[in-house]
Amino acid sequence: MKKKFQNSKTETVVYFICSLVGLLIVWQLAVSFTSLQKVMPSPFVVLGFIGQSLTQKIGGKILPLHILASLKRVFVGYFLACIIGIPLGILMGCSKTGKAIVKPIFELLRPIPGLAWIPLAILWFGIGETSKYFIICVSAIVSIILNAYAGASQVDQTLVGAARMLGAKPAQIFLYITLPASVPQIFAGLQVGLSSSWMAVIAAEMIRANEGAGWIITTGMESGNTVQILAGMISIGLVGLLLASLLRLIERGLCSWNIQGR
Amino acid sequence: MKEKKLKYTLISTASVFCFLLIWYLIADVFKVFPSSTFPSPFKVATAFVRKLTVTTPDGGTLGKHLIASLKVVLLGYLLGIVIGVPLGILMGWYRRVDLIVKPLFDLIRPIPPVGWIPLMILWLGIGIQAKATVIFVSAVTPAIINAYTGIKQTNPVHIWVARTFGASNFETLLKVGIPSALPMIFAGLKVSLGASWMALVAAEMLASTEGLGYMIQMNRMVGKADNIMVGMITIGLVGALLTYILETLEKKLVKGGRNK
Repeated sequence: MKKKFQNSKTETVVYFICSLVGLLIVWQLAVSFTSLQKVMPSPFVVLGFIGQSLTQKIGGKILPLHILASLKRVFVGYFLACIIGIPLGILMGCSKTGKAIVKPIFELLRPIPGLAWIPLAILWFGIGETSKYFIICVSAIVSIILNAYAGASQVDQTLVGAARMLGAKPAQIFLYITLPASVPQIFAGLQVGLSSSWMAVIAAEMIRANEGAGWIITTGMESGNTVQILAGMISIGLVGLLLASLLRLIERGLCSWNIQGR
Repeated sequence: MKEKKLKYTLISTASVFCFLLIWYLIADVFKVFPSSTFPSPFKVATAFVRKLTVTTPDGGTLGKHLIASLKVVLLGYLLGIVIGVPLGILMGWYRRVDLIVKPLFDLIRPIPPVGWIPLMILWLGIGIQAKATVIFVSAVTPAIINAYTGIKQTNPVHIWVARTFGASNFETLLKVGIPSALPMIFAGLKVSLGASWMALVAAEMLASTEGLGYMIQMNRMVGKADNIMVGMITIGLVGALLTYILETLEKKLVKGGRNK
């Protein structure tokens, strides 16, 4: 059984490399031999551009610094969304009165996509950093609240009953049962929220910014520079992937019992 | 029990009422912010009615923008699910397809759909094709992932039963795999819908001449917050309505899974 598992793993890796190389070859061939070359640079030009921009400035900053600027915005907005969203979601899940107060307002605002807040945010907070923090926070908070709510409301009532029978106070029940039981759900929400905030920062920067990963691809568009757009897209994808893996590592550290149980 | 339910309904109503009241107080009574940037609920309601007939300042009535947006979003969304769901099913059922398509898919997936907008505008212009392609990209990803997971979660016992009774591989997929994956597929369709609606707003804000996203962006430039809010509310309402339609469809089509 174990041998078979290893085989399938190597097979996956082999197929992954094959399709990656295949993609690069098809891309290169399409660019060299068809009329696609007018609008599409070859993959090696794009990769070369990424390597070059590690040291050469695009619009006053090297590529890693642009990404760092975006990451800083994500960090602030996302952190805000976490410290507002998680307690609010848990409150909705734990207390029926809290749910009755918060849920209808939340349901009213929820269908509005985070990105639709951009014009209003710019009008309220100007084109500076504050409006970007606001947009990121609004985009991330929905899934964070929803998942914290689901996690807290799906706590096994038998456990709560047992704790109460053994004389636990409400605060203890909350701290030792509700909170740990909802952590896996909360992390699922954090994961979705992180990818939404990464998308929100790109959108916000595309609409109004002087730096950042989203800015790189829009200026590429404005100057007709496909190489720069593709390089920007690839780095955005890579950073998004990195962020998701980082959060998964934290989750593994914080609730290893849940992952083992799967 | 009934009394308790009534109590919570009352609290909910009061909560929404308070929300509107506080909004009104801040905007109209205490005038904390200028009314051009923070209009009261009444102003927004008047603007909503006015926008149904007046075309200034964005060159279209609310209805015209709404129809333009719906056309684009439905085109991109339908294309996305028509391609995404079968692809996800094939990836989940046939191992060879999985091994070939999955890595490519995993390479492209981390790029947020919004990130495709500049490239598509450069290639296809600011017309319906560019926007529909961006929406296609954002709709196809969740459709593929959910159809794939749904098929992968098929109960092996059911597959064995079908095999024992002599069903071919394809028949098993048709009679066992797809029906048992339907709830998951529908969950994906809902996520796709939300993602497409959001991508549409972003695409229209960046480059468009009509549509709801264009409308809120133009009103931002002339500083009319009441019209922005009208646009946002319409976006929210239509998004909720589309989700509701999909849920009704799901209840009709998906058998089982609800009686648990």
